[in-house]
Amino acid sequence: MDRFDAVVIGGGAAGLGAAYRMAENGLNVLLIERGENVGEKSVYGGRIYSRVFEEYVKGFKDAPVERWVKKERLTFLDDKESVSIEYSSDETCSFTAILTKFNRWLSDRVEDTGALVVPGIMVEDVKLNPTRVVADGEEIECDAVVIAEGVNPMLTMKLGIRGDWKPEEVAVGVKEVFKLSESEINSRFDVESDEGVANLFVGYPIFTHGGGFIYTNKDTVSVGVVVRVDSAMKNKIEVYDVAEKFRAHKDVATFLKGGSMIEYSAHLVPEAGIRGVPGELHRNSILIAGDTAGFVLNRGFTIRGVDFAFYSGILAADSIREAMDIGDAGLSGQIYENKIKESLIMKELEKFRKALNVLENTRFFDEYARMMVEIMGGIFDVREESNRLYDVVMDKTKGRKLRMILDFLSAFRGL
Amino acid sequence: MESIENRLGLVSFTVDSEPHIKPEEEKCNNCSLKVCLYVCPAKLYREEDGKIYFNHEGCLECGTCRVACPEELEWKYPRGGFGVHYQFG
Repeated sequence: MDRFDAVVIGGGAAGLGAAYRMAENGLNVLLIERGENVGEKSVYGGRIYSRVFEEYVKGFKDAPVERWVKKERLTFLDDKESVSIEYSSDETCSFTAILTKFNRWLSDRVEDTGALVVPGIMVEDVKLNPTRVVADGEEIECDAVVIAEGVNPMLTMKLGIRGDWKPEEVAVGVKEVFKLSESEINSRFDVESDEGVANLFVGYPIFTHGGGFIYTNKDTVSVGVVVRVDSAMKNKIEVYDVAEKFRAHKDVATFLKGGSMIEYSAHLVPEAGIRGVPGELHRNSILIAGDTAGFVLNRGFTIRGVDFAFYSGILAADSIREAMDIGDAGLSGQIYENKIKESLIMKELEKFRKALNVLENTRFFDEYARMMVEIMGGIFDVREESNRLYDVVMDKTKGRKLRMILDFLSAFRGL
Repeated sequence: MESIENRLGLVSFTVDSEPHIKPEEEKCNNCSLKVCLYVCPAKLYREEDGKIYFNHEGCLECGTCRVACPEELEWKYPRGGFGVHYQFG
């Protein structure tokens, strides 16, 4: 078996970032992916923040972007009604994409740089002294390994770099993809052909940690629900039907009318922010990146992970390269720790440490979501006498004003 | 509402003969929580006469059952090339 400078485990955004950067910097790289094809095990909601990709990937303008997000919508849903807040802009910093296609495209770029991408192989073990990767009964020797195995950290746990997730640290996301014509999507969401909408929902049907989402792709729409695993357990939420319940709400159904479902998928999402990042991200010259390291930021109204994953792969690659330049690959772990600590990823996660406490408060997902709808309902109800805003607010917040003010203050500070 | 069976019918799988998740009969039947019955997004855990039955065909490989299970659940990914093939992940 050939010897490689570095082996990357996992063909998701993090692994592809690492392999791309290392090969670009002249290292002899092997990327191993368990899926029969790169991208087929990757699942997410639907939107990627673009900056990192624009900066690091040559030819990014040809990437399979579905639509550039020009409208951000936040919707509070109760059982029957809804209130939406929409932000519309000509500027954009994110795009919708099918992650399967996007990662496959990235994988082609990785191969262009000269790295070897081998799909359909499961890595069984990573061993130390000397560093080697065990797959298909073969031992592959290398100077460094990047483990980017995704949210289920099976190899990483075996190495003792991190423990398994607790139910309160991850959410399960279920997604349905609907086929609709491009022009139907344009008219229903009131956008041009290359423009997209990201719509997050709070409240119905789970009324607890998590919420619904709709992302518009070119000629498909991604719809689904994310619910924290501990809340699903506690509230006995039937996760297999939760997306269907969400989709049945009239204010969701209206976007999908006449469309046909073409795929159903599920995936875990790290939701513990900085608390989900283990104390150490390496063992010798074995580095962990992406979801495996917990690099996901959930602010309630946005969730960000794919760009962090890719960027952590880049930083892992640079650390390995620097260590090898010094002549000791064993230093790559420590260099990586420093790079990550000073990176945008950790700055962001640190900055939103308090958001974790805010998002812990279930009143935002239940009581306040319903209240938003009731207040708006009260204002617009003109069947007979109109209601003054003041009276509606006083009525709907009766007996919980102080608690509400404190909760909202915490939200202002944390989010 | 589209049944979970119909939705799983839209997903492409290469099923391995050997299951990659192995619940232990005794532990499962004596489990007081049985959260797997509702947290699995593919509804692969079923209960009949107090006994838990699991079918790995149709597994979406999310890992939720492993995280939610109060016991040590033997959980692995399917072998390379097997399992789910998402096209719109």
